[in-house]
Amino acid sequence: MSLWSGVRARVRALLHRTSADRELGEEIQFHIELETEKYVRQGRHADEARRLAVAHFGGVQKVREEHRDVRRVRWLEDATADARFALRSLRRTPALAVAAVITLALGIGANVAIFSAVNAVVLRPLPFPAQDRLVVIGENNPEKNWHMNWAAPANLLDWRAGVADFQDVMGYFEGLGNIVLTNRGDPQVLRLSTVSGNFFSTLGVRPALGRGFTFDETFSSGTHVVVLSDKAWHERFGGDSSIVGRSITLNGKSCQIIGVMPAGFAYPQQDVDLWRTFEWTTEFRNSVAFRRAHGPRAVARLKPGVSLAHADAQLQAVVERLKREYPATNKYMGAAMVPLHDFLIGDTRLPLLVLLTSVAFLLLIACANVGNLLLVQATGRQREAALRLALGAGRGRLVRQALTESVVLSLIGGVGGLALGWAGTRALVRLQPADMLRVREFGVDLPVLAYVVAITFASGLLFGAAPALWARHRDPAESLKDGGRAAVQGGRSRRWAEALVVSEVALALLMTVGAGLLVRSFMQMRRVDPGFEPDHVWVGAVTLNSAYDTDDKVAAFLRELQTRARALPGVTSAALVMNPPLTGPSWTSDFIGYGRPAGEYGTEVAHSLVSPGYFGTLKVPLLRGRDFTTQDTPSSTPVIVINEALVRSYFKGQDPIGQRLAFEKVPTPKSTWYTVIGVAGDEHTEALGIAPRPVVYESSLQDVIGYTRVAVRTTGSPTALTAPMRSVLRDLDPTLALTNVTTMDELRDASLARSRFMTLLMLMFGVIGLVLAVVGVYGVLAQVSRNRTREMGIRMALGAQAAQVRWLVVRHGLRLTVAGLAVGGFAAMFATRALTKLLFGVAPNDPATLIVVALLLAATSFAAAWLPALRASRSDPMAALRTD
Amino acid sequence: MGSDSADVLRGTLDLLILKTLTLQPMHGWGISARIQQYSRGVLDVNQGSLYPALQRLEQKGWIASDWRTTENNRRAKYYQLTASGRRAVGAETASWRRYVEAVDLILDIG
Repeated sequence: MSLWSGVRARVRALLHRTSADRELGEEIQFHIELETEKYVRQGRHADEARRLAVAHFGGVQKVREEHRDVRRVRWLEDATADARFALRSLRRTPALAVAAVITLALGIGANVAIFSAVNAVVLRPLPFPAQDRLVVIGENNPEKNWHMNWAAPANLLDWRAGVADFQDVMGYFEGLGNIVLTNRGDPQVLRLSTVSGNFFSTLGVRPALGRGFTFDETFSSGTHVVVLSDKAWHERFGGDSSIVGRSITLNGKSCQIIGVMPAGFAYPQQDVDLWRTFEWTTEFRNSVAFRRAHGPRAVARLKPGVSLAHADAQLQAVVERLKREYPATNKYMGAAMVPLHDFLIGDTRLPLLVLLTSVAFLLLIACANVGNLLLVQATGRQREAALRLALGAGRGRLVRQALTESVVLSLIGGVGGLALGWAGTRALVRLQPADMLRVREFGVDLPVLAYVVAITFASGLLFGAAPALWARHRDPAESLKDGGRAAVQGGRSRRWAEALVVSEVALALLMTVGAGLLVRSFMQMRRVDPGFEPDHVWVGAVTLNSAYDTDDKVAAFLRELQTRARALPGVTSAALVMNPPLTGPSWTSDFIGYGRPAGEYGTEVAHSLVSPGYFGTLKVPLLRGRDFTTQDTPSSTPVIVINEALVRSYFKGQDPIGQRLAFEKVPTPKSTWYTVIGVAGDEHTEALGIAPRPVVYESSLQDVIGYTRVAVRTTGSPTALTAPMRSVLRDLDPTLALTNVTTMDELRDASLARSRFMTLLMLMFGVIGLVLAVVGVYGVLAQVSRNRTREMGIRMALGAQAAQVRWLVVRHGLRLTVAGLAVGGFAAMFATRALTKLLFGVAPNDPATLIVVALLLAATSFAAAWLPALRASRSDPMAALRTD
Repeated sequence: MGSDSADVLRGTLDLLILKTLTLQPMHGWGISARIQQYSRGVLDVNQGSLYPALQRLEQKGWIASDWRTTENNRRAKYYQLTASGRRAVGAETASWRRYVEAVDLILDIG
């Protein structure tokens, strides 16, 4: 109430300044009338009474003024006056203003770009209703070293049936498949997501047209149904509403379109064209594979009001039951839940936070630099400040004036930063490695704007603090005493400037050490021998359709494809491989050697299905034994080639040739035994940064599958093979399409992409930070040497050599730099630990990186110190002494 | 002005105004007249500082004002205490008493 009436009085005063003046006039008049009456009552004559009353009241005008002062919203008027003054003084020193604005725009722009990414990826919730109730259920298996792995379909269904806290549990394959659309002009390749029937309903998203799947449609029923994404509906079917209910031909099968999803729904991948259900057959459901093969990512929706811990207790009860009931597959199989959003952010969170820290440092350096510029300028204006103090301006008023100037500067810098940042976000989206940020675009939205405003004001206050605090401590008498002498930076101001430079150098060291570590990791990773020769190898995928319904037909087609590919000009060899290296294993399994005691099994051997000639085509060295041949057929002995990693880990130096393996923990009389015929060198299966794992190669002639990639080695450019390969396939079967076309060099680059992206960004920010810090060193030394012109002149007049004078300035610069390096180096020893997970082949406290980066910084600031030193040593003693 | 009447110290004017207003709502002249009356003519409010002080107190929310008609049927601006003004009187009075006691202690030395 009281606060309110106070506010009301102010607002009224501001709005009705003249009416308030009029009211006061009326009030004073009333007062004087009463006073006059008082004197009349005391027996005075009317005229005299009036004169006395007015005299007693005092100066009416003074009262009006004072009244107005109290009434006024003083600070607002002061602020506008200050801002106007600030703009005027910035115009007086355009070079300084431009330098400051550019520095700030760089700092703020980098922050805007990175924060936009953090906002879009980490802060913004998933676009599903009540998305906080969605959790991923992952399988954890200590024996296989699994953490949050895909679910076995049977386990997924048991969780769904057994946990009352779950509203529903659905599953989907994380990656997309390719499917060929025919009977609508040329064959088209569509990106297919395979899901359970309750996929859409669990996420809580309804189709825009038609219907979604039902849970029962998870299982095979003989008919096939698909749902289109909004993108595919527009791009492939012209946005035609009557498409719902019609059938299309996909991989030779007739499928009915039952619905179209709304725009903006693109899960699990941005480029999804359509969804189809798993169509699990009764045969699959009754096989052991239904509980042993792990494929779908499982996502549950919790019932409203249910806690994660409560649901987890129920889940663990089901997990324990399954361990008892199905020991063969589930003995070590645990399960855990993670909120879906956290799970999807997963490995993007750390890189983004590291980048955010880096740009925060960048902004701090920028602030320190601008603070220094302002300090120099404030020194130049100290007489002005002293004069104002002497004339009665409050020190608080001077501080506010200084802060207003810096906030005005930072606002201009903030506008520039917003523009730079907007351009930066577009560049980030374009340069990001394969969906790292999960979004195709992130605009400048409300949180980003709020962030810009916040950091703009914060940095204005931050870099304004130094000159403002300095202004507070000025003694007017001292400054005015200087008489006509040019302003000289006093001790206090110089100490401020030096402190700023030391912190700049420390921050720059932190940034560049971080960047340096990533550069070293990247170089290490690039130097990794992938185990094959990636140059000149073209790769493309082919999926056979339902017309190839026997192994013989499939084998015949693939043999012909290989033969024709080899016949192309420039081609030296061609082979088939289901999953080329660096794209992950086709599948993994347990295994046991023939004659080994029970329990001496291994887990997690990767399987690769290849044709004869694969090792020669990829130039994977065959170290022992032989390659597959066309003589190895489904009717001959099953054979395998194993890699060195498997020889090391399981055969421990024995000769594995002729040994036999079965892909089970406990072999049964029905088990198939595969004879080892050769040993190949280690290929990096998953990525360059992940050590090779044990692999068995099986022959695609013995285990026939209608999906493969064709790897073709050529003497020319591999990309030139795409067109001839397309026509080879068209000649063989016009209903098939070539997908996933790439080269092994590109796959190798993709494996480096994340590391390269992070390294580039960190390097860019690091270099900007370093340049700004060095500019800071230069700025301070230039000022110092300007201030010491007289001193230098005297020194030289007394016989000091130019080199001695130069050394004086350079030493000053080095002292600041070394102090900064010491502080930064100490901090780096702890701070770089946060990078551990992003590094490869280099320790976070790698001394070589620290030393090299520190030397680089020292060398550049030495160069920065040299210029002012040179100027100081060239000062003419006579001229210097005459300056006054 | 008599030579034995004292100007009101700047800081105490607010307290005197507030205390006077605890009696009843008053206009500016009334306030200055009352202060003079109650101090038996010793305290003479500098009327030049009275109105800025009233404005200051109103902005603090301790008093509120409105235009009313006097008993002689004239328009005048009346000031009255708000709830927080009433609380402030207590606090200001206590601190004034402490101040006076302290000054007394010093004056009593020797």
